Order: sequence, then C-alpha cells, then structure tokens
Amino acid sequence: MSNIRESQSAPRQLAMVLDLNKCLGCQTCTVACKKLWNKDSGSDYAYWNSVETLPGRGYPAEWQETGGRDSEGAVKRGEIPDIDTAYGRAWNFNHKKTFDSAGKPGAQKEWLRPDSNPKWGANWDEDRGAGEYPGNNHYFYLPRLCNHCTHPACLDACPRKSIYKREEDGIVLVDQDRCHGYRFCVEACPYKKVYFDYERQVANKCIFCLPRIEEGVPMACARQCPGRLRFVGYRDDPEGPIWKLVDKWKVALPLHPEYGLAPNVFYVPPMSPPQLDARGRPTGEPRIPLTYLESLFGDSVGGALETLVAEREKRKQGRPSELMDLLIAYDWNQSFALGPKDAEVSLE
Amino acid sequence: MKKTLDLIAAPTGMQPGDYVPRVYSDRDGPQTPSVSLEVEHSTRGWRFHVRWPCPKPVQDTGGQSNLFPDAVALVAPSVPEAQWVTMGAPGLAIGGFLWRADREPLIRMRAEGFGTVQRSEAENVRQVTSEWNGGEWSLAFEVAGWKELDETRRLAIAVWRGSARERAGLKSVSPGWIEVGT
Ligand code: SF4
Ligand code: SF4
Repeated sequence: MSNIRESQSAPRQLAMVLDLNKCLGCQTCTVACKKLWNKDSGSDYAYWNSVETLPGRGYPAEWQETGGRDSEGAVKRGEIPDIDTAYGRAWNFNHKKTFDSAGKPGAQKEWLRPDSNPKWGANWDEDRGAGEYPGNNHYFYLPRLCNHCTHPACLDACPRKSIYKREEDGIVLVDQDRCHGYRFCVEACPYKKVYFDYERQVANKCIFCLPRIEEGVPMACARQCPGRLRFVGYRDDPEGPIWKLVDKWKVALPLHPEYGLAPNVFYVPPMSPPQLDARGRPTGEPRIPLTYLESLFGDSVGGALETLVAEREKRKQGRPSELMDLLIAYDWNQSFALGPKDAEVSLE
Repeated sequence: MKKTLDLIAAPTGMQPGDYVPRVYSDRDGPQTPSVSLEVEHSTRGWRFHVRWPCPKPVQDTGGQSNLFPDAVALVAPSVPEAQWVTMGAPGLAIGGFLWRADREPLIRMRAEGFGTVQRSEAENVRQVTSEWNGGEWSLAFEVAGWKELDETRRLAIAVWRGSARERAGLKSVSPGWIEVGT
C-alpha cells in the first residue's frame, strides 16, 4: 500500500457491524437518516443510508462495476453516476389531481402515482433477487452507508483537501466550506457513498451521526432498526461488540475488501436455506451461492458461515453461545459500546 | 492587445491529492487547443473579449450530478514572482475572474498555490456578454479595477471544456503569463 500517500488510519476508529441475517428490508434506517440529515433539495436523490436487494443492480445502479484500488494500492478512476439512470430521480406525485378528483360525482377517479416516468430508483429491484422458484430462488438485503474507510479513496481524491478523517474516531467528513463541487470524491469512492448537492454545489456524505456519537448515542440508522441488527463501537475495544464480531469470532467481514480501502462497516454474511431438487427435496447446497458471497465479502466468508452454523447448532441444543447471544441482541445495550452514556436503551 | 494563444493541458502530475495525478496521467494535449484573446485598457478599466472553440457546449447543469459547465478564468499575478503553473504560492497570490456558462455573474478568485482557490462575488465587473455559436464561445466583459493586473500587466488564461468533464486542474491553460502591455 505504498502508493497511499494522503490517507492515514486514525488512532481510534468507530465502526459498525450489520447482521444480514436479520435485515427485514424495511428501510426504517434509510428514512431515519434521510429525515435527520439530508433533506436539502439539491440532494433529493441521495440516500446516505440505502438498503438494496442482492443479487441486484444496487443503488446507484451497477455501483460495484467501477472503482477501488489496483494491485499497487493506487485508486482507480471511477465514474460519477447519473441521477436519471443510476441513482434514480426523486419522484413527484400527482397529489393535486388526485385530491381534486376525489368525491366529485361522475368524475374519473385519479389514482395517486408518480407524475414522471421513472426508469430507475433506489430499491427499484426490491425482492427480485436471483434463481428459479422453487428450486434455488434467493435474495437478501444489503444496507449500505459510508464505510468511514481506513484508507478513504474520497479523501485521496480531493485536490482541495476538503475531506478529512477525524483523529478521535476516524469519521470521514466533507468540509463543505472548502468544497468546490469538483466531484473527484464521487468519482473515486467505489462504494458510491459521497453525493453531490446540485443546488449548493458541494459534496455530502454520511457523518456517522457524529453529534449523537459525541453524546454517546448510537447512529439513527442503528438506533431505529427494528431488526436490531446493527452494532456500534470502537474497533479496539475488546469489551465492545465490534471487536468480538470482527476480531474474536471473525464472523463480520468488510464489503469488497479487494477494493483496498479497509472499510469500517462490517457485515455478518447471510446464511441461506438449502436448494431443492426437482422433486422438492433439500440438496444441502445453500441457496445463496458461496461464490457470490465471496465476490462481495472475500474469501473468509465460508469460514464465517461455518462458525455461524456451528454456534447456532450449539444454541439450538441449549448450550451457551456468546456469539449467538450477541447477534440475537437479547440485551440491546450490548449492541452499542460508545462510552459512559451509551446505555440509553432502557429494557425495563 | 489581440492574440491567438496556443494552450497546453495543465500538467496533471503536479496536481494535489493522490487521485488526479494518477488516474488522469494519460491526458495528452489540451481539450481546447487555442483561444483568441483581446484586451483593451482605457480610463474605464479593462475590457476583454475571449473566443475559443467548443464543439458541444455545456450551459445548463441544473438538477444533474455529473455535468460540468464550460468555463474560463482570466488570472493575473499580484507580484511578478508569482507562478501561473502552481496557481501562485503562499505570499505570492494570483487573482482573477471566473466565468461559468451555467451561472451569472462572474466569480472573483484568488489563490496562493494549488488547491487554495478562494471564490467571492466579483465586484466592478460590467457588460458581460457570452454566446455560443457555430462551435465557438465568445465572452466579453469589463472590469473597472483589477488590482493584480493594474500592477503587473500580465495575464494567464484557463479554459474548461464541460463536455470532457473538465474541472479544477483538468483544464487547458496558457503556458505562462502573457504581457498585456498598457
Ligand atoms: S466509503 Fe467512500 S465516501 Fe466513505 S470513506 Fe470510504 S471512500 Fe470515502
Ligand atoms: S432498519 Fe434495520 S431491518 Fe430495516 S432495512 Fe434498515 S438495517 Fe434492515
């Protein structure tokens, strides 16, 4: 990684783990984030947190096709996604027509629908997935946000040094006062998690809810998640959930580790039920192909799945499993380790 | 003064950051090969007329994530030692005016080295006209008082071609300062 000149890891790194076995695809996280931070009209198309159905084209469409670093560690040239074809434009609805047509005797009822004719959008291919029913059809949800990378491509790309990584927690931020809207960061981030506000002409991105974090309160996406699948803490805290899931149990893996950015958002990969043969009998082959999961989470995914299955079996037999108890999130406070004030969730 | 100037691609190898110098190292030759520059000085101040080839103009970037406008900057050194190729240096400022095809009015800019451009509202700029016609942009404007140019009588020019996604250091530039005389 000798070619990484600009980026440096922070002394302390805040991180998140998401257990994909528990995501409902409800988009509560997406809405919580959007409502809290990102209502500016120039980034109406932008979701700092998005949840996509995989296998699928994703948001923005085909984001996995470009970017990352080459074998020397140098950032590759990426693309700036188009709002109409890749992100999907925010919809306008025929509210007025619908309202005006209501209750008018004899009038044609106008149903609520988009005014425009969109061709793509976030979550467009929801629940489509891959495979053939009933033999091997499959899909899962992948919630995505900025990875607050240890080697952020966005930071390397900015000629104005408008992007920086905070010393105290490794959160990657855009200084919008410095930003001139050149969008090299949008181009370079292979996860496509920096956005351009076309009205204010500046970049914006997930801030890991830093004002909440500074108060010991988890991010809105994590705190609002009904699936309780998000874990938050510091990478180096051996008492916290991140270290346990990433380093101790090795079941939480970065997305596209081969991009070389060292993400600090990790995923517990999805287990899947077996495929069925022509006579409807389980084959023992998982529905989500291991090769597909490896293309997302790297070579360690098989080992992580084996650990998950083994620990689940233990728990089924009534034996203790620290891993399963943590993942089940019986005690939600254990999912968040942020500091003295983190125990904000009362289970009384 | 009236001149046709040959432009060069601004050297990407010198650009700040770890990305642009690497991924744009293959840029050979300027997107905009030449400009015609007319400069007049009178008691009213400076008057400029710039014309340059542009086969596919980008004037409207509204509501889009991936469009960059055509743009031109005229820049002067505050002191003779200030270098154009580095956008000046600390204590050796350069200053000028930026025109963007997608907005009015002009923008005043000042820099003391790569990546340090500060933008502000341009004052004393009048009579701005711009038109794209038959593959060419024509831009004219007057500046009533331009401190750097008044003092050093040197100018440099940068042209960004929006259709080639040029912005920041991706631009065609005059190789050095141009003496505008009096
Ligand atoms: S995910 Fe993208 S935007 Fe976030 S830190 Fe990494 S490179 Fe930057
Ligand atoms: S709120 Fe939780 S369960 Fe719902 S989509 Fe987001 S991560 Fe998945």
